[in-house]
Amino acid sequence: MARGMRRDQLTGLLLVAPTLLFFAVLILYPLGQSLVLSLHRTSTLTLQSRFVGLDNFRVLLADPEFTQAFINTVIWTAGAVVLQLVCGIGMALLLHGSLVGRSLARGIVLFPYLLPTAVAVLVWRWLFNDLYGYLNYALLAAGLITHPLAWLSHMPDAMISVILVGAWKFFPFVVIAVLARLQSIPDALYEAARVDGASRFAQFRDITLPQLAGVLSIVVLLRAIWDFKEFDLIYLMTGGGPANGTETLPILVYREAFQMLKFGRGAAVSVAMLLFMLLFFLVYFRVNRHLEATGR
Amino acid sequence: MIRQRIGLALYNLAVWVVVLAIAFPLFWMLSTALKPNDETFALPPTLLPVHPTLEQFQRLLTETPFTTFFVNSVIVGLCTTVLVVSVAVLGAYGLVRFRFPGRELIAHLVLFTYLLPAVLLLLPLYLIISRLGLANSLAGLVIAYTTFALPFALWLLRSFIVAIPIDMEEAAMVDGASRMRAFVEVVIPQALPGIISTSLFTFIMSWNEYLYAMVFINVDTSKTLPPGVLTMLNQNQNVEWALLMAASVLMSVPVLVGFSFLQSHLTRGFGSGAVKG
Repeated sequence: MARGMRRDQLTGLLLVAPTLLFFAVLILYPLGQSLVLSLHRTSTLTLQSRFVGLDNFRVLLADPEFTQAFINTVIWTAGAVVLQLVCGIGMALLLHGSLVGRSLARGIVLFPYLLPTAVAVLVWRWLFNDLYGYLNYALLAAGLITHPLAWLSHMPDAMISVILVGAWKFFPFVVIAVLARLQSIPDALYEAARVDGASRFAQFRDITLPQLAGVLSIVVLLRAIWDFKEFDLIYLMTGGGPANGTETLPILVYREAFQMLKFGRGAAVSVAMLLFMLLFFLVYFRVNRHLEATGR
Repeated sequence: MIRQRIGLALYNLAVWVVVLAIAFPLFWMLSTALKPNDETFALPPTLLPVHPTLEQFQRLLTETPFTTFFVNSVIVGLCTTVLVVSVAVLGAYGLVRFRFPGRELIAHLVLFTYLLPAVLLLLPLYLIISRLGLANSLAGLVIAYTTFALPFALWLLRSFIVAIPIDMEEAAMVDGASRMRAFVEVVIPQALPGIISTSLFTFIMSWNEYLYAMVFINVDTSKTLPPGVLTMLNQNQNVEWALLMAASVLMSVPVLVGFSFLQSHLTRGFGSGAVKG
């Protein structure tokens, strides 16, 4: 029996070995490499590097562009998450009822999530186009604006536009998570509330929201993590402009390393990001463990 | 009764208006792709093409490197998927069914790497790939893509394998089958729907990836679709929106096909085991 157990352990380790190899070589080693890079001054062109200790970090903390990128990241993440959450819960509630063509409607709503970001950005930049874009035309026709707006070249319009597109692209994640949870709330709870004469809003506040609390806390955390690290959507919408107005930390990493050719400083920004990620990650584990313990 | 009917009709109407509003950008993409160039500058814009034409698609396939980008994207997508899913099937099975020291730690590590920002690995991967002489090659991209696709595939497959009842494997082993034979003949067939949807998700992730593809590839012959099509946007003085929308439509088709197969597994794939359905 003991030998059988031993052999079983060995088989298990063998099965996991290729995975571990990939993780060690392609994820853990590069992560360590990031730390090392952040302590060196390295030119992107020659890749010659020299140890400089914490200099890169000192420069960053004194650099207004880093502070600006951090603030932008917080604004973008908060704006995108809140909008995704509100739209996502609303849409899930709408799709939960007895709708004609429900699965088609769900399919349409969920599709933007899997759409290539490059495609989403191209379509929205065409919609936002200042001269021939449909958005300006529609808003002018409706009398909501008096002259065409250059959405992506003014602040705060550019940030608002990016947040809107981010909400459109990523809110399906909230929809699907909430829909799945809504389906598992027992009808009996609502029936009891109706017998007691509770209004629809009271039912939502006292039954639906508390039941959703567990899944929503995980959804908020995951979306915050993913929005925090989002590069493609913002970079392709605005390139970080106008005048660094939408430059977030991931874009700063890229710019430092590949446009200003300061590899070490780019690495330092990414290590700073890693620290924030660890924070998110700790909270995620806490929440997850709490949910598992309470059986939700 | 009648009031209820009217209420239901109004609800349906309202929901569908919202749904169609969400789909408007997709409709606008398709509509623009079917317009001749001068019609994209029409004011007021025409909602449906007045002179519908397929000329944008024809130009895209004959006058631009779009086909090269497309083929490259397919190659990278297929290689990434085969590599990642085969490693992940073994890994996920090992993590679910076997107890060995460090198992919990590995599971946490997988989740951690799944949530790790791609931009964090960008610079070290750039160095590794240049040193291996794989800059500007599709192989370099496949290697880079395993860093996010493997943790994802592991999480997703894990949730599928956990759901397989253990009885059948045990029955097979009581009948004298070895552990590996039980794995090949019992577990793999049972996990097949999970393996297929994980493969589709992995392919779509690779198909959509932009950052690594933009940084690691600088020659047109090795570019994949997302950075390739976006250079078409930035190179021209006069942006040809109809042409770009045609490219967008063709880029979306494989995703749409995958999506239609995935509908029933979406909850799992979106949260990838992180959100319980």
